[in-house]
Amino acid sequence: MIPTPDLIDLLAEGLTPVRRLRKPMTRAAQWLLLASIVTVMLVIAHGVRPDFWQCLLDRSFAVGTAASVATGICATLAAFQLNLPDRSRGWVLLPLPALAVWLSMIGYQCLTNWVAFNPDGMRWGEAARCFSTLVMVSLPLATTILVMLRHSAPLRPVLATLTAGLSVSAITATALSLIHNPDASIMVLAWNLGTMVAIIAASGTIGRRLLRLAFASD
Amino acid sequence: MLSIVEAGSTAPSVREVDWSILMERAQSGDPGAYRRLLQEIAPYVRSLAAKWCREPDEVEEVLQDTLLTIHAIRQTYDPARPFGPWLAAITKRRMADRLRRSGLRRQRETPLTREHETFPGTQANNPADAPERRALGLAINQLPIGQRQAIELLKLREMSLKEAAATTGMSIAALKVATHRALKALRKLLAGDEVR
Repeated sequence: MIPTPDLIDLLAEGLTPVRRLRKPMTRAAQWLLLASIVTVMLVIAHGVRPDFWQCLLDRSFAVGTAASVATGICATLAAFQLNLPDRSRGWVLLPLPALAVWLSMIGYQCLTNWVAFNPDGMRWGEAARCFSTLVMVSLPLATTILVMLRHSAPLRPVLATLTAGLSVSAITATALSLIHNPDASIMVLAWNLGTMVAIIAASGTIGRRLLRLAFASD
Repeated sequence: MLSIVEAGSTAPSVREVDWSILMERAQSGDPGAYRRLLQEIAPYVRSLAAKWCREPDEVEEVLQDTLLTIHAIRQTYDPARPFGPWLAAITKRRMADRLRRSGLRRQRETPLTREHETFPGTQANNPADAPERRALGLAINQLPIGQRQAIELLKLREMSLKEAAATTGMSIAALKVATHRALKALRKLLAGDEVR
């Protein structure tokens, strides 16, 4: 351990100007804009599901979709608030009411049809196609939000990462519900939250090394 | 903005200073303002850490962890908000990490006691053995020189008969006899008898 006055001198001598982070609301809005663009592109590429307009009249679909959108927005805002050291931990509660509504409407169809047996032979089922779409949608969203949240690494990594995972899950589930019939919410949640938990576990082992590298590069 | 005025003797003695402005200047790359800020907040962080950490080294480690964290995430500070809660949150987080790490270390490790440091040498420091060791030393000193040499070399330094013979110049048979007599004499001495 070096003497503290020497450490202060080292830090002051190595000081470089930094660009201040924007307000959490602004950063959340930026990420949600990106998520909307990804969703629109997905809908343009795949086309909206055939029964979309009828579904809108279905109360459970409308409530479930509205709840997943609300969960996504609230979880994004919570993640960017929890990213800052002086904000309350209570922000983690923000997405919970919408999440409760969303979970109460959730279905599990996409977990049941991984392989289809046709007269032509075995083929990938709807679940496998659904899974590949979900990875394509959630990967850029998860990567972007984790890069934007990297400043929280030394302080509240678990809460910030989990709320980020929840927001990616909710947005991805909403996007998938627009383009295909079976409800993929359970698969989406399992994939995204599982990925986030894996990231948290990995950061426990390699996080210290990464932090040391970050300090060394400062 | 945080303005701390000197309060009672137990409060951190910090002169009225605007840390928020100093941090804003530090974000723009002013090393003088940054050095002053870190020097000003160090006693405050130390006083926060001292509430939870008993060892002075631990307090200093928490302080240095906090300073490094402030350096790494200085871009997260918003000058429109008070500096105090931002600093206190970072300090508390670093303190919690340090306490968790030291708790884990205490679970894994056992501190060395005097018993652990006792070695089979003449200077062993087991206090329970000290009176017996002293009595034995005194008894050995009372032996004739030949017998004393035999005991020291063969029993205390655990030399072989050949090595002891080479060291003293005595024959192996003489060493055996001397050892036998010495042990007999020591038994009597330690039982409270005098060597005759």
